[in-house]
Amino acid sequence: MAELQIVVCVKVVPKPEEIRVDPETHLLERTNARSEINPPDMNAMEMALSMKDRYGGRISLLSMGPPFFEPNLRVALAMGADHIYLLSDPAFAGADTLATTYTLVQGIRKIGDVDVILCGEESSDGATGQVPPGLAEWLNIPQLTLLTDVSIDQTLRTARGRREIKGGYEILEVPLPCVISVKTACNEPRFMDYRLRSWALEKDRLTVWDAGDLDAEPGHIGLTGSPTIVTGLAEAPYRERRREFLQGSPGEVVQELAGILRKEVEV
Amino acid sequence: MADFEQATDEEVLLIDDELWEQLIELTDGAAALCFQCGVCTAICPWGLVRQKPLSVRTLMRQAQLGLQEKNGSLWLCTTCAQCEAYCPRGVNIVDVFRSLRTVAWENRNPEKGLPSLMWSIFWNDNPWSQPPTQRALWANNLDIPIFNPQEHEVMLYIGCTSSYDQRAQKIASALVHILRGAGVEFGFLGEEEPCCGEAVLSVGHKHYFEEVAAKTAQVFQERGVTQMVTISPHCYDVFRNHYPPFSNGFQPLHYTQYLFNLISEGRLQFMKPLDLQVTFQDPCYLGRINQEYQAPREILKSIPGVELVEMENSAEDALCCGGGGGRMWLETPIGERFSDLRVEQAVQTGADILAAACPFCVACLEDSLKVRKTENFEVRDIAEIAARAL
Repeated sequence: MAELQIVVCVKVVPKPEEIRVDPETHLLERTNARSEINPPDMNAMEMALSMKDRYGGRISLLSMGPPFFEPNLRVALAMGADHIYLLSDPAFAGADTLATTYTLVQGIRKIGDVDVILCGEESSDGATGQVPPGLAEWLNIPQLTLLTDVSIDQTLRTARGRREIKGGYEILEVPLPCVISVKTACNEPRFMDYRLRSWALEKDRLTVWDAGDLDAEPGHIGLTGSPTIVTGLAEAPYRERRREFLQGSPGEVVQELAGILRKEVEV
Repeated sequence: MADFEQATDEEVLLIDDELWEQLIELTDGAAALCFQCGVCTAICPWGLVRQKPLSVRTLMRQAQLGLQEKNGSLWLCTTCAQCEAYCPRGVNIVDVFRSLRTVAWENRNPEKGLPSLMWSIFWNDNPWSQPPTQRALWANNLDIPIFNPQEHEVMLYIGCTSSYDQRAQKIASALVHILRGAGVEFGFLGEEEPCCGEAVLSVGHKHYFEEVAAKTAQVFQERGVTQMVTISPHCYDVFRNHYPPFSNGFQPLHYTQYLFNLISEGRLQFMKPLDLQVTFQDPCYLGRINQEYQAPREILKSIPGVELVEMENSAEDALCCGGGGGRMWLETPIGERFSDLRVEQAVQTGADILAAACPFCVACLEDSLKVRKTENFEVRDIAEIAARAL
């Protein structure tokens, strides 16, 4: 039986509270913001690693982004993955989810013989949740979204996952290869393995591919391959907490609270 | 045959030579001194709140033999060092526990919740999962200057808890007022203040701690820090006892020690009488671990009208609040909180205030006091009491 080939898509995002919206241009200003691994991708990492613990196999980290992603990708590598593929080219810039998924898929094709592609539910900056389904569409393979748990049958070559739904859960099964998106916060990502910390910093652990390496169609990548148009951007109003404390017996407090709710939100 | 079958129901314990050697190396052979008398288990405060106490002796035996601890009791230890105070062989038990935890991390077997604690420190530089950019928000209205070695005699190290925890922020503010009252020229590092890494060390992640300590020591060196005052005894301990391999040239003091020095030099005087009976909770990391029992008591005694009364267990015998050893980030079930017993002891003294000198103690004790619903009784940090007497 061939070794299980797992790809985890990882995005490096700015820390959300450090992004500023330029009041003039309405563009996101992230130059001074610290970076982190997209938190939902950490849950995908943990799911991939527990898969590797159970079945063995090889985990490739796949990311599209500028070279400054590298240190954080090496952090993810030190959690127990095997290799990093960074798709980096100025031509990839300005990609929406259509161009991003196309580019990632070119990377997945070049890695070759992939059984499972794992993604976080969504990114904390873009938050579309479109990348996992997009990958499955380009590759024309099944997808299981928002899973909290997954098992693989290597003989039957199937993936079986659990998804929480309103009032219960459902068990879903698809043939391999497939794309899986992982429900945010469904597991606790393990910390880096310090025996791997310096190994993960070695030069050979990372492969960078540009548009040429990927044989990417120029019309499908970056801004050119992105039909999405951002027509406007608005900041959500900041809600000031009133810090009102109700006094009295529990009964009185409930009465007063009910009164406030009736008045304020017209229940 | 029946006996043999019965015996096979029990787990077969295999001695792991590699683990044994690793523990010897990590602890400098500390566990070897233990002669298994069991005083540690008898004195461990978990025995006060649990039917089945934490068997410190068993864990010491496992460390001696190179056996893996498997039932999770390793993570109960608050590293309060009560056992060390009574150990007839002077074994550095806390060190052995930390090393067993180091091994547990290496075997990818840490207590649930602790990997998230490590990630919080890694991404946010604080264990409270708070944005690093908001570290100095608490001081917005205080106008504290950024530390400058040419202008300031001391760098005030706030620490993560006093930076982010709303209750502990009051301790920091009180200390700022006292230092100003005494005319001390001081600064802080504001948003750039790095985490001391005590949480990492206390849960035993030795390798990550080394990384944090090296980084933090470098920040202090670049900023020209020589004299530092900490609010938490945990930060103080880690800087004093665990940073030396990573740093040279800065001397940490706990703020009670620094204030006591100011009082002795005549720079700090309390003018306003308070008319209070106060009892004092010795923080483990100030008292037992760093042998500082005098400074906090002298501060209280120098406040006119304050009468110090001692609890049933004080100084070397002080009962831990339950917050050390990483327990601040783990859940302790109701009925098993040492702080409940401690508040009870404090109330029994008839005092008006239970004073502490550690943000963890204040948090744990105040939580227990809220549950107990005692009227006319407060938990306050010494800094808060002293600030009232300025």
